[in-house]
Amino acid sequence: MTSVLPTIRVNVLFFGRIRELAGVREEPQEIPVDATLADLFASYSRRFPKLAEFRGSLVASRNQEFAAWDTQLKPGDEIAFLPPVSGG
Amino acid sequence: MHRVMPDNPINDRLELVNSPIDFDGLVRFVRADNDGAIVTFDGFVRNESHGRATEYLEYEAYEAMAVTKIQEIAAYLHDKFAIHRVAIVHRLGRLEMGETSIFIAISAPHRAAAFDACRYAIDTLKKTVPIWKKEYFADGAVWADGELPPAPRSSKSAS
Repeated sequence: MTSVLPTIRVNVLFFGRIRELAGVREEPQEIPVDATLADLFASYSRRFPKLAEFRGSLVASRNQEFAAWDTQLKPGDEIAFLPPVSGG
Repeated sequence: MHRVMPDNPINDRLELVNSPIDFDGLVRFVRADNDGAIVTFDGFVRNESHGRATEYLEYEAYEAMAVTKIQEIAAYLHDKFAIHRVAIVHRLGRLEMGETSIFIAISAPHRAAAFDACRYAIDTLKKTVPIWKKEYFADGAVWADGELPPAPRSSKSAS
């Protein structure tokens, strides 16, 4: 191995219909050091193509705060992709 | 002009629960001698959705974030309205028809602030708190249409 791209590890959570689509509730994920929320979602969309259809009707959160898609991730971040909320 | 002494927010009751909500207890909790009004909101499971008969509902939450968001709502209420205490309790898991999914109780010296705060609390909860409802019918189940919470457009302008 001549070069290994540096990566960081984040924890990714899924809820509601997104959880059902991905078949995952929570998992750690290795991503490139400069990855954004959009990059992370794109990698999941490649793994679960149906997810891509939901990109426009999701918000992302980082460490339990709603976050913009261009947010750059940091080691240990807790990330979630949240469908429209329907509590109450 | 009457000004309510802001209560320590630790005296609010803001919870997610998995069992039936004790709303009488919540009303007693927010009530104090220097209050003159309590406004409550009782949200419960309707027997139909878009014309289909509902059998039951299941609620799930991003629990840690949901609690944080409910705490933010309560903090805003104390900041903007002349209220005394706030109880906001949301139930998760399976709920049958007629069962209460959310109960809000707000006390205040005068009714107007309690009405306004209660309305703000439920409207904001439905838009910003990460909780999801799945509706079960005789012939299938669907995730309820919801509201997409507002999120920052760009991290450059976010704090």
